[in-house]
Amino acid sequence: MRKRLLAAVALVAATAGVKAADLLPPFTVGYEPTNVDERGLWMDSDNRERQIRDSKLTVHDEELNRYLTGVLCRTVGAERCRGVRIYVMQVPAFNASMSPNGMMEVWTGLLLRVQSEAELATILGHEFAHFELRHSLDGFKQQRRSTNAGAWLAVLGGLSNTNTSGLQLSVIASSFKYNRDQEQAADLLGFRYLAAAGYPTSAAPDVWRHVMAEQDATAVGHGRRPKPEYQDGFFNTHPASARRAIYLEAESKKIGDTGKDDGAARLRAAIAPHLPEWLDAQVKLNDFGGTEYILEQLAGNGWSGDLLYARGELYRLRGNPRDLATSIDFYKGAIAAGYRQPQVQRNLGMALLRSGRPADGKSALGEYLRLLPGANDAKAIQALMAN
Amino acid sequence: MALAISTTALAQEKTGAKAGFTLKPGTVRIILMRPAISVGSQSTGGMREPNADWTNQAIENLTAALKRTQGKLGNEVALYDEGVSGEGALTSQYANLFGAVSNSVIEYQFFAGNRLPTKKRSKEFDWGVGPGLSQLKSLEGADYALFIHTRDDYGSTGRKMLQIVGLLAGVGVTSGIHQGDAGLVDLKTGELVWLNADRAMGGDVRTPEGAEKRVAQLLEGFPGKPVDPAAPGAKK
Repeated sequence: MRKRLLAAVALVAATAGVKAADLLPPFTVGYEPTNVDERGLWMDSDNRERQIRDSKLTVHDEELNRYLTGVLCRTVGAERCRGVRIYVMQVPAFNASMSPNGMMEVWTGLLLRVQSEAELATILGHEFAHFELRHSLDGFKQQRRSTNAGAWLAVLGGLSNTNTSGLQLSVIASSFKYNRDQEQAADLLGFRYLAAAGYPTSAAPDVWRHVMAEQDATAVGHGRRPKPEYQDGFFNTHPASARRAIYLEAESKKIGDTGKDDGAARLRAAIAPHLPEWLDAQVKLNDFGGTEYILEQLAGNGWSGDLLYARGELYRLRGNPRDLATSIDFYKGAIAAGYRQPQVQRNLGMALLRSGRPADGKSALGEYLRLLPGANDAKAIQALMAN
Repeated sequence: MALAISTTALAQEKTGAKAGFTLKPGTVRIILMRPAISVGSQSTGGMREPNADWTNQAIENLTAALKRTQGKLGNEVALYDEGVSGEGALTSQYANLFGAVSNSVIEYQFFAGNRLPTKKRSKEFDWGVGPGLSQLKSLEGADYALFIHTRDDYGSTGRKMLQIVGLLAGVGVTSGIHQGDAGLVDLKTGELVWLNADRAMGGDVRTPEGAEKRVAQLLEGFPGKPVDPAAPGAKK
């Protein structure tokens, strides 16, 4: 099975340079699972989809969904995308996943991080490639084979009083390697979609560069030295980001110019209504460095009120005296940039109080209560002001 | 490699009920929520292999068996119907919550050695899903909700072989998983008033007779039931 998969990868690689659209594998509309394993996996996926549909974590926003579906359809083609339902999940981390029945989950943390529609298309195309290549089924079978082998090794080892842990370890290793090979195959097929759709393919390696840059920023923010991974680790389910960036960069150079418009503005417009909420979740992750990195990327074209407010929150929550002083500047900047949510006054007031400026602080808190008389923390704020 | 080495079936309590809880026959209306049923097989290595065909058979058999039992529970039992309430999503969230609670009861109360400190002090049975259920329009007029859940993974041939060889090698290998639970929730308070759970259930749910036996086991000791219809081969 692994051989077959590797052969498929090699095939995709060998035909690079030919027109992108010709490279896509054949596709069946309305595919139904065929054997017992696949029907079982689809049943589980259908159950999970029911749960996801009814989950409180699912973002129910038709317009956002229409946008994402539109990007997917442009990327993989109108015919293929019909088999997929996209669910946006409120999770502040970088991930998306694909179920064998055509359910795609996209986390809000991913939408906050991709910097252009082309980067988003890279991810959606990658996930769709898992679906099209039926990786869940192959992965399931592979896992079963290796756990079966492991179980026999353990029992027979016990029977013959032989230590089989080395052999068992190699079975485990092959399992993780298999997963990484699947990811690479999905990367490469996803790349073909991206090119065929006329997006600039440099977006594909960019995704992984940004992931690495954020990880470095997170490490620095936590006082650690950044340790980029260039090689796949033993237990890694995915290839190292650096390796992904390198082979996708090579593909991108090979294929040449496929388009100029990366659709960054369209992506920004699509996520704008949710930005405050998603930023709020990100700021609370206790990841100062990584969040600063994300905010800076988002502020590429200038600092909006939303971004300045989030940055103020980030500094206020870290809470060193110097951070409070900085947060006051950001809150004021947000107000000057037209940010109108009442919380900005409350949090500005709190930062001022803690910076030893009670008069200014109380006036900001008063402004908060004036804007939002029925606030659920009104009593606490009044008590603070009375002190 | 996760090889479920058996820890020889620990002694497990199977039933819990709120202290002093009784149900007089013919006094209340009980809603049977959509049962969660999953059937599959267990690979040699112990992995669950979901099986859609078996699951469909089990749903059909268990639903039919439940329908036949409905009349014998001493109180009116009706199937849940979302109707036009639009509460499907909320109801399934409650079903998930019930699943989490019942798992906790089994894990942390029914296994005496694993009991949480808060559950050790008294014989109290104090669990619930919160009072929010009473707000559901689709449950109006009902007093209790009955939740049922079963999971069966039938040991594959390979697993059974491994078990036999394991026996010789002195490595304990379990084959097959057959779990089920049934719980009754008071819709006014959200309290779990009765729970019957077993991690080693009988009855092959893929056949009508087996499903009948399984349902009898699931509803063993159901409050307010006039007589236990003799469940053939039911475990005591």
